[in-house]
Amino acid sequence: MKNRHKELLGLLDTSGAELFALLTRLTLREDIAEELMQDLFIKLSHSKGLDKATNRRAYARKAAINLAFDWRRSHRRAALRLQRVRRQASNDDSPLTQMMHSEELRETLDALAQLKKASREALVMRYIQQESYDHIAEQMGKTSHQVRAMCSRAVQHLRRIVGSNHRHHNI
Amino acid sequence: MSNVDDNQLHDRLERLSKIDPTKAASDRAAKRVRDTLMNDEAIPSPGRRLLLIPKLAAAAVLLIGVAFLAGRLSAPESVDVEVLQANLENSLKSSLETTIRQELLDEMENRLQSALAAERNTLKQELRQQVAHDLDVFAEKTLTAVGNMTDQRFMEFARMVEAARIKDRQRVAAAFEYMGSRFGDGLVTLAAQTNKRQGTNHNIGVETN
Repeated sequence: MKNRHKELLGLLDTSGAELFALLTRLTLREDIAEELMQDLFIKLSHSKGLDKATNRRAYARKAAINLAFDWRRSHRRAALRLQRVRRQASNDDSPLTQMMHSEELRETLDALAQLKKASREALVMRYIQQESYDHIAEQMGKTSHQVRAMCSRAVQHLRRIVGSNHRHHNI
Repeated sequence: MSNVDDNQLHDRLERLSKIDPTKAASDRAAKRVRDTLMNDEAIPSPGRRLLLIPKLAAAAVLLIGVAFLAGRLSAPESVDVEVLQANLENSLKSSLETTIRQELLDEMENRLQSALAAERNTLKQELRQQVAHDLDVFAEKTLTAVGNMTDQRFMEFARMVEAARIKDRQRVAAAFEYMGSRFGDGLVTLAAQTNKRQGTNHNIGVETN
């Protein structure tokens, strides 16, 4: 058990900031990201899957993505409270524009939550974590082509989900 | 088909990728996790707790065995059966005697109650008649006594009234007698005075003549 804690403390040192940033991007709330970060490491400390995992960093990231989307599903109506969303290229920086942008991000994340776990993980790693296809393929145990196809299909699916949500709102 | 095109979707995802938490929040989260992991070391995990259960069970069995052996070893030697029988007999006797006595008393009481229950109505009727008769006699005697007493009191009262009337008459008679004597004396005095005055007037007239 002591060894497990040492490993986790090592993981925290090497990937803690990255995992926290990922949780913040997926929840859009720093306070929730803090909570989920703690939950993640508690889960990892009792997880048997971590021992079997060849890439513990990837395993931790996958667990973080699942935790974040579980939270999203249970708090779909949570308000966007993140203070540090970077400014957009648009000159229009009015509160209304900021609110619309925040709403768009929330909508996109809610749509992501509806994807299958593998597609969602690939999309998050590719587009939110900005990782290369090769790196993602290595992490997921697939070929680069497979990941590229998976991401492409996932984007189409995501676009359909967002589009159907728009139609429901317009009705 | 959709209101959101691929470019817009990629733009949104890119915006998400540019969200960065503050350094303070990141440090705070790392510290929180570190503290949790440190504290978690002190707390036994569920798996470790499960391992503890057989150990605790074995320890409990061992403890019970030791206690049993100690009890057997420290137990007194075999007792005298006759003494034990006598003690048991006395004990049973003393405890059963009071119970049997009480049960016998209860039984007798029940029997008496059931025997008396049959005669109960007759007894009640007789008792009622007897009480009514006694009450009549008592009322008659009381009325007679009260009547006699009243007559006696009236007679005493009449006697007293008569005595008082006689006394009053005597006083009135004495008063009249006294008044009569005083009136007679007054008349005599008045006559004497009148005569005396008439005698005086006559003498004066003679002298004048």
